[in-house]
Amino acid sequence: MISVENVSKIFNEGTPQAFEALKSIDLELAKGETMILMGVSGSGKSTLLSLIAALDKPSSGKIVVEGELISKLPDLHASAYRAKSIGFIFQHFNLLEALSVEENVIAPLINSGLDIKTIKEMAAESMQNAAISHKASQQVKELSGGEKQRCAIARALVHEPKLIICDEPTANLDRENSLKFIEILQSLHQRGKTIIVATHDPLFEALTFVDKVVHMEDGNIVGADSISAHN
Amino acid sequence: MNNNAFLHFLTLLLFKQKGKHIGAVLISVIIIFLLSSVLFISSSLQSMLLGTLESQSDFTVSRVQAGKAINTPSAWMDKVLEINGISQVAPRIYGRYFFAPREESFLLVGVDLFDEQSSKELRSLVKGLDLKSFLSTDSMLVGEGVKTFLSEHYYKEYFSFKTPQGSFKKVKIHQALPSGTNLIANDMIIMPIELAREIFGLGEDEVTDITFNVPNDAEWDNIIGKLHLLFYDVRVVEKREIVKAYENLYNYKGGLFLILYLVAMVTFMLILYQRYSMVYSTERKEIGILRAVGWSIKDILKLKFYETAVVVLVSFVLGVILAYLYVFIWDAPLLSQIFLGGANLPNHVSFVPVLEFGLLGSIFLFYAIPFLAAVLIPAWKIAVTPPKEAML
Repeated sequence: MISVENVSKIFNEGTPQAFEALKSIDLELAKGETMILMGVSGSGKSTLLSLIAALDKPSSGKIVVEGELISKLPDLHASAYRAKSIGFIFQHFNLLEALSVEENVIAPLINSGLDIKTIKEMAAESMQNAAISHKASQQVKELSGGEKQRCAIARALVHEPKLIICDEPTANLDRENSLKFIEILQSLHQRGKTIIVATHDPLFEALTFVDKVVHMEDGNIVGADSISAHN
Repeated sequence: MNNNAFLHFLTLLLFKQKGKHIGAVLISVIIIFLLSSVLFISSSLQSMLLGTLESQSDFTVSRVQAGKAINTPSAWMDKVLEINGISQVAPRIYGRYFFAPREESFLLVGVDLFDEQSSKELRSLVKGLDLKSFLSTDSMLVGEGVKTFLSEHYYKEYFSFKTPQGSFKKVKIHQALPSGTNLIANDMIIMPIELAREIFGLGEDEVTDITFNVPNDAEWDNIIGKLHLLFYDVRVVEKREIVKAYENLYNYKGGLFLILYLVAMVTFMLILYQRYSMVYSTERKEIGILRAVGWSIKDILKLKFYETAVVVLVSFVLGVILAYLYVFIWDAPLLSQIFLGGANLPNHVSFVPVLEFGLLGSIFLFYAIPFLAAVLIPAWKIAVTPPKEAML
């Protein structure tokens, strides 16, 4: 499903402040697999996720998702790809604070061409799956960290994406909420979703449903384990 | 494309983030209100002026010597009448009467009320004027400003003019001129020509000027030429020159306001631009989030365009309505004095509603385009940066 070939990313390219965040990365992930990207801050995990989600473009190399070369997509197609295929869960949740949970959850579908009634029905189902339905009309700024995370999950799932990308999803959660998040992740895995999680949380190290653990350091992949094979 | 979801989301953002828009709406309303008020006053004054001047004669001629105005011989009237194309020739005595105790002056106009045309014009100006009763005693018609001024100085029924011989001429205040003529007649006194002659000390065969009409506009320049051939020492004043002079005066005052408006607009747009282009602003983050969840640059610009268009429209409508009420219902307190402040006596003018839709359209475009640009350009700049960077 995902093929990353010889991908590099250099920030401030051509300037004295140039910084190579990713160095010739190669990666493969099959449909329905769950992959954990482990590594300390600054190892390049988040940059790699941004490239896979078409939030940014690589400096060189190519990224193919479901046969589509997304590393060179123009903005309109990249946006359509994100709207259709990607569910992104951010470390800082990145929710629209002035809006309610439901209003945040419907945001990815606003330009989908669906009518508002259908969109609200889809949002209701997604909030149900993320166990945040009871807070649907509450403003995001009034929610706890765990609730905000569940709202972000509901938003990421509302359009039934094939690929779910999580960037340090438990960094701002306590242990209890982190475990709840992992439970939701497992249920998504069971529903056949392809999942990539970038984290340095030890809770993710020995999860049974994880297919791959990739270790990153200084913009390089320094190790890759197939957990299922080990088990 | 189903737009109801987009409209739903737009409404949500507008209402839930109203705090963000209230400041912009308030400043915009004030700017639009001020500009519209000035333009309403200016248009109304010009329209009223044209209406008032419509009944005036097309030409006024007087005698000058070395550029100085002197009395005009009444005999000129016969010579003027001989020119083809001229009609309704009438004598007039016109001048300022200085009221020394209060250092004020009135514009005194003496007209020949036994002339059919002059009396007809006066009756059309002052509806219901009983000319017989007016002419039976030494009487005068006074502008509202004069009436108020004289009344404040205990001249409620009569006023005594001082003649050049040092004697006093007592004249009855017959009635006030209609308030609709305040723009040019606020400090005016109209009286029979003989009375004015006595007050100014003019000889029997003298007037200050002669008025007449030329019905065919195309002949105006010819007539001026003929007058100059007839009298080497004549000064000719056309009605259109008077209209122009007034228009220039009000345009000049309106122009000053326009400059102030421009300064205020530029400042406001710069503030807006700066606010929207702030590196860590909430707008920046909002755009980044929407981009991350699949909104394209086009979708973002569409949202920002409609959001701003609503703010612009609401501000414009409110500003124009307020200006309309202020000018045409409440007679523009304070601002009217800036326009009418040059008048000799305190003047009160009720502005006649004049709405020029072309003018309103211009105000709207002049305001809306910079406003939209001040929001959309920074929004576009944020939208084209990688969403991850914008969300920081």
